Amino acid sequence: MAEPSKGLLRAQEIYQDRSQRALELREQGKKIMGYLCIYPVLEMMTALDIVPYRIFGDMREPITRADAYMPSVNCPFLRSCLDLGLKEKYDFLDGIVTSHICDVGSSLSGIWNYTVRTPFSHHIDTPHTLHETSLKQERGLLEDYRKALEDFTGHKMTTENLKKAIRVHNEQRALVRELYELKKPDPPLISGVETIRVIKAIQSIPVDEGNELLRDVISEVKERGDGPQTKSARLLLWGSILDDTALPEMIEGLDANVVMDDTCVGSRPYFNDVEVTGDVIDGLARHYLMDIKCPRTFRTRDYNDVRKDYMKDLEVRFSYLSDYARDWKTNGVILESVRYCDTHGYDVPGLRDYLDNLGIPSIYLEHDYTEGALAPLRTRVQGFLEIIS
Amino acid sequence: MVLIYFAGIDLGSTMTKVVIVDEDDQTKASVVYHTGAEHRRLANRVMEESLAKANLSIDDISFVMATGYGRINVPFADRQITELSCHARGVASFFPHVRLAIDIGGQDAKGLKTRDGKLLDFVMSDKCAAGTGRFLEVISAALGLKIEDLGDISLRSTQKVSVSSTCTVFAQQEVVNHLSEGVPLEDVIAGLHDAIAGRSARMVNRLKVEPDVVFTGGVAKNVGVVKALEENLGCPVLVPEEPLLSGAIGAALLGKEHVLKALARGETIQTGKRRLEEATFFK
Repeated sequence: MAEPSKGLLRAQEIYQDRSQRALELREQGKKIMGYLCIYPVLEMMTALDIVPYRIFGDMREPITRADAYMPSVNCPFLRSCLDLGLKEKYDFLDGIVTSHICDVGSSLSGIWNYTVRTPFSHHIDTPHTLHETSLKQERGLLEDYRKALEDFTGHKMTTENLKKAIRVHNEQRALVRELYELKKPDPPLISGVETIRVIKAIQSIPVDEGNELLRDVISEVKERGDGPQTKSARLLLWGSILDDTALPEMIEGLDANVVMDDTCVGSRPYFNDVEVTGDVIDGLARHYLMDIKCPRTFRTRDYNDVRKDYMKDLEVRFSYLSDYARDWKTNGVILESVRYCDTHGYDVPGLRDYLDNLGIPSIYLEHDYTEGALAPLRTRVQGFLEIIS
Repeated sequence: MVLIYFAGIDLGSTMTKVVIVDEDDQTKASVVYHTGAEHRRLANRVMEESLAKANLSIDDISFVMATGYGRINVPFADRQITELSCHARGVASFFPHVRLAIDIGGQDAKGLKTRDGKLLDFVMSDKCAAGTGRFLEVISAALGLKIEDLGDISLRSTQKVSVSSTCTVFAQQEVVNHLSEGVPLEDVIAGLHDAIAGRSARMVNRLKVEPDVVFTGGVAKNVGVVKALEENLGCPVLVPEEPLLSGAIGAALLGKEHVLKALARGETIQTGKRRLEEATFFK
């Protein structure tokens, strides 16, 4: 029997056939829990020995069934997710956990329950603001979620197991950050395309296996001599979900390397640890509500102090991106959003103002979440590269 | 190496343009063809014709720069560059003080913020061809008119109508409604031109309009759209003598500048294979 593949090759195999490992584990009696977006608390699944499996769409598969349930002016990524569900591509899931990522995402969880009918489902109505009352609400929601998972498995979620799960997920976050350190040199040791494959792979397998994969990838990438070449542009990629390599492939096919990102199939879920607090739920609530910097949450912590100063407000919302641009030495930012994603779209004008003020060139691309529709964007990206180079 | 001639080929969605310039930036030959469905087979034919016009052979050309949406389908090109940079360079060769260039072609519209021939920023219309040359083609065909007559007809308008959509399908319905209500043809066409100009003006407002404003692309040949654009932008709009050629001229000039820079650095010029043949890699 051939040796199982490792490192980047393994990541690519999982990227191309995501459900393979989940199906094996299900055969062995494991529960596989689908989750949408990055707000369902994965640590609670791991603490009960449930395998978290992120639900993605497929931009290479035309949406044919979901249009009966969701209008075509809704987010095509979420429509694609439902479409795959309706085509029985997610029939191996034992359950699904959703959260209030946006109104369409929230509606999808209800539509999924009526149409796809995955045996177990739970919706976390995650708040969108950062007031103390929001934190209290998130905490309560996580208690409900904990109980729902306990009822589903028939097992008690012990504090000890939850702490253990937090540690192993924090280890994953640390490994992803270590991987991103390897993107700081010029040329980067790992490409943007390879990075998406690795992140999508670890969101498709149990966390401990993901950590092993990350360790293998890190040591392979450090050793290899055939990594990316130096190019004129080092880019930061910001935006809504990118669960396919098509866009970074197009960008990196030009004179640019994607050396840093702020997307949810990228650095976004991994750049802050969960603090192991006395009451474990407190740390989880704080992390998932406050620490993940996604436009779906209004970052209003300091809003009362800065509401009359636009640039200070932008600083509160986006300063972490200027840190990324500085630390990863990027000379341009590509802002991308799937069409009809108001959540990301509303952040774009402010973010561009913020980057303009810092003298960091940026371009905004909106796409239809189909592979073919990316081709016309090539001229825009190339034109942008011609300006910044 | 003796530097003499430089060629720029602009393979646009509707028209293919070739310009050959000499070392003094003087145009030696220019050719414009309809791109058509077989555009990948066309580049070599258009190039051959422009070489014949200039009485040159392909070996006389020091550098071939390809641009336009079909730029990767030019087997004899030495380099590809976007039409955005080429238009910026090309319009500056006609109007050195240009700050904003608006190009409305067959399938899209572009706004280019430029200074000294360099591209500083740009906006482009979405993938839909609303408000472009294609829009005028469809409408003129539906009205049984020649597209080149639209501009003059619209200048006779005394009370243009409002056409609320630049979507080709919806606008066509609006036109039919207006005509059935007895609105004179020239007022309807002036309304269509205003809809196109308004759409482009709103798009380029994001770049902050600053004179000189130059209008290029096939639609710039329509005097009605030029007039409507001036009204919408509130400033004069300059149009080159041949508005279709700015991309190809820009490509030729950028090719020349690329060569000169490389030579100044003591580098050898990397030129591609000079095969005047069809692109075959797509088969």
